[in-house]
Amino acid sequence: MTDFLKEADTAQNQEDFLNRIAKAANRPRHALADNPLEPVNELPETTLAGKSQDELLEIAKKNSEAVHVNFKVVKKADLGTTLDEFISEKDVNSLMLPSFAEEKWTDYSLNMWHQGLAIDPVYYWKPELGRENITNANKSDAAIGFADFLLAESGTITIATYPEQGRSFHFLPTHYLAIIPKSKILPRSRQAMDYYEKEIQAGNLATSNINFITGPSNSGDIEMVLIVGVHGPLDMEYVVVEDM
Amino acid sequence: MGIATSNKPFDERVKEAEADNFMRASVAKSQDAQFDKRTAARRELGNWEGWRDLSAQIRQHTIKYLPDYLEEFSDNVKKNGGHVFFAKDDKEASGFIKELAIKKHAKNVVKSKSMVTTEIDLDKTLLSIPGLALMETDLAEFILQEDNWDEPTHIVFPTLHKNRDQIQKVFQKIGYTGDNVPEHMAKFVRQYLRNYFMKADFGITGCNFAVANNGMINLVTNEGNADLTMAIPKTQVVVMGMERIVPSLKEAETLDNILSRSAVGQKLTSYCSFSSAKKVGEADGPDDFYVVIVDNGRSKMLNSEFEPMLQCIRCGSCLNVCPVYRQIGGKGYGSIYPGPMGDVLSPILGGYQQFRDLPYACSLCAACTETCPVKIPLHDLIRKHRYVEMDQLHLDHSMTNALLKTVGKGTASPALFADAMRGAHIGLKTFGKKTTEKDIKNLFPEGKVNHLPAIAPKLVHGWVDVRDLAVAPKYRENFRHWYKKNQQLTEEEQKND
Repeated sequence: MTDFLKEADTAQNQEDFLNRIAKAANRPRHALADNPLEPVNELPETTLAGKSQDELLEIAKKNSEAVHVNFKVVKKADLGTTLDEFISEKDVNSLMLPSFAEEKWTDYSLNMWHQGLAIDPVYYWKPELGRENITNANKSDAAIGFADFLLAESGTITIATYPEQGRSFHFLPTHYLAIIPKSKILPRSRQAMDYYEKEIQAGNLATSNINFITGPSNSGDIEMVLIVGVHGPLDMEYVVVEDM
Repeated sequence: MGIATSNKPFDERVKEAEADNFMRASVAKSQDAQFDKRTAARRELGNWEGWRDLSAQIRQHTIKYLPDYLEEFSDNVKKNGGHVFFAKDDKEASGFIKELAIKKHAKNVVKSKSMVTTEIDLDKTLLSIPGLALMETDLAEFILQEDNWDEPTHIVFPTLHKNRDQIQKVFQKIGYTGDNVPEHMAKFVRQYLRNYFMKADFGITGCNFAVANNGMINLVTNEGNADLTMAIPKTQVVVMGMERIVPSLKEAETLDNILSRSAVGQKLTSYCSFSSAKKVGEADGPDDFYVVIVDNGRSKMLNSEFEPMLQCIRCGSCLNVCPVYRQIGGKGYGSIYPGPMGDVLSPILGGYQQFRDLPYACSLCAACTETCPVKIPLHDLIRKHRYVEMDQLHLDHSMTNALLKTVGKGTASPALFADAMRGAHIGLKTFGKKTTEKDIKNLFPEGKVNHLPAIAPKLVHGWVDVRDLAVAPKYRENFRHWYKKNQQLTEEEQKND
């Protein structure tokens, strides 16, 4: 048997392949630096541009509800009560929360709320627990997390993976709620991507994963009938905090 | 499975497809539903042609500088702590992954839907490892696996040919006791596969787009299984066709928008994820992240008239508008890549000998070219395959050449042409039947031919077996006669004016 494993990451494996396809293409290698992509138009930037934050909120609400999201707009002072209602409505007996520093909870006026939760167990996604977090997420009836942005055009929340709020956090719990400040509503995916692209390239954001999540998981694989809730959460709620 | 899903002759596959009434109704229903959703999603976005121009430009640019972008991507994957293997063909790709699975002592493999892994026959290769279990976790792929690895019929909706009763029976074999309601069956699969996910140690995904400038891979899905495959197992292998690359996250984002609208009529699918090896401090995600970059015949398209096919983003919208696909479904093509994109791709990747019939499974109506979000001239490429088959490979061993030479001689001689026309009129008249009330009024004023004796040549049967051939007007009422009559009428009308 050929030992393919030894060939991985070797210069020879890469160069043989790339030289072969460059020869097939009959084009020289390393010509890109002088010929960068110059987009033929700016549609990703100009589509839905120039809207006020109030207009974006309206568009985001309409498009989120169209993808089966329960959409709420609340004041910071009422956020805790809204989360309690979610816990009660979904009959949540085990809850997963991120382990962000206390300042973040305080920013959202949720420091007292999360410290005083009457649910047992409450699992915090903690980097020091390693893969035990995955098991905890699987045991959780619901997750309440913080999204980076909400995209008005598609009703999408965007979230980078952080040590305090991992990948499976958003996929394994049965019900899911995301909190988003109104100021973080963006027109489209382009503006969110501009942010991530800039932060990653500048070395300010060290993440291995970015999720754009548009409503609960779904499938049309059986007779094209829409099934909401397959491998990911069965339902989703977005709570926009209007005075943030 | 490899590219070929069947070794039956094309005619036989078409006959089987013709007899499958559920499949044909299901494909028609799906095409109509997708037409409405896709059109609405594109219209709402606005300036669709501008988006197509931009998407085509991104794809053409990256294909033009493919080695440079692959090099940049590979460097960045390694910088992120991942590993890269460049595979010349299916044997190298699946061989590498098999060796890796053995080295990692993989016991429970989870896979999310990926066309390229089917192309390199990965499932079968991995299942040859003693003690290894493998689960396709996309709902449709899971159904196919549990139904004894049935053939897929669509690149986005692989189980379009199955109804809920058939699926219920498949699930009963693995312990399902409920009814045939899709939601109930999906709940069962969720729990069944969740248990498996929790013990998965080796994950395999495809790749919609690979991001050159940061080494991430982009997956566009709806069910959430791909994200679990990228979160839970300690080892993840990404298998990507070498052309699936974009310069940066921005171009991935543009194409995700176009792909989602074109494939399923959604603005974005439920999950568009951008992912790489786990970083220090993160708790889940793969410790070991491997990318296998596969050529497997793709480089044959470079610098050829078929190069535009490398722009394909596998949205399947060409299947959803194709009148031939509507009639014969995916199984009729005998390839994991069916429909117009399959007509172009299958002969290149799988060889003309195996897929020589596919370029002829096309009416050249160009609906595919018109809908393609990255502006691949699909019908033109299908026509070019016919040139290759006829002129370069001389694959046609039928009487076509002799026949066309005869036609050439006949049409070049007025006397022979007139004789042929007379003969055709006599033939049509002999086998023609009068129309009935069931026929469309005035469609066949002189009658129609819809049946010929079995002894008639195959070519002639082709004209009447699946359609009605109109009986021509009397020979003397030919075009010259018609023109003369109408010219007289026109002159009279002008005089009257």
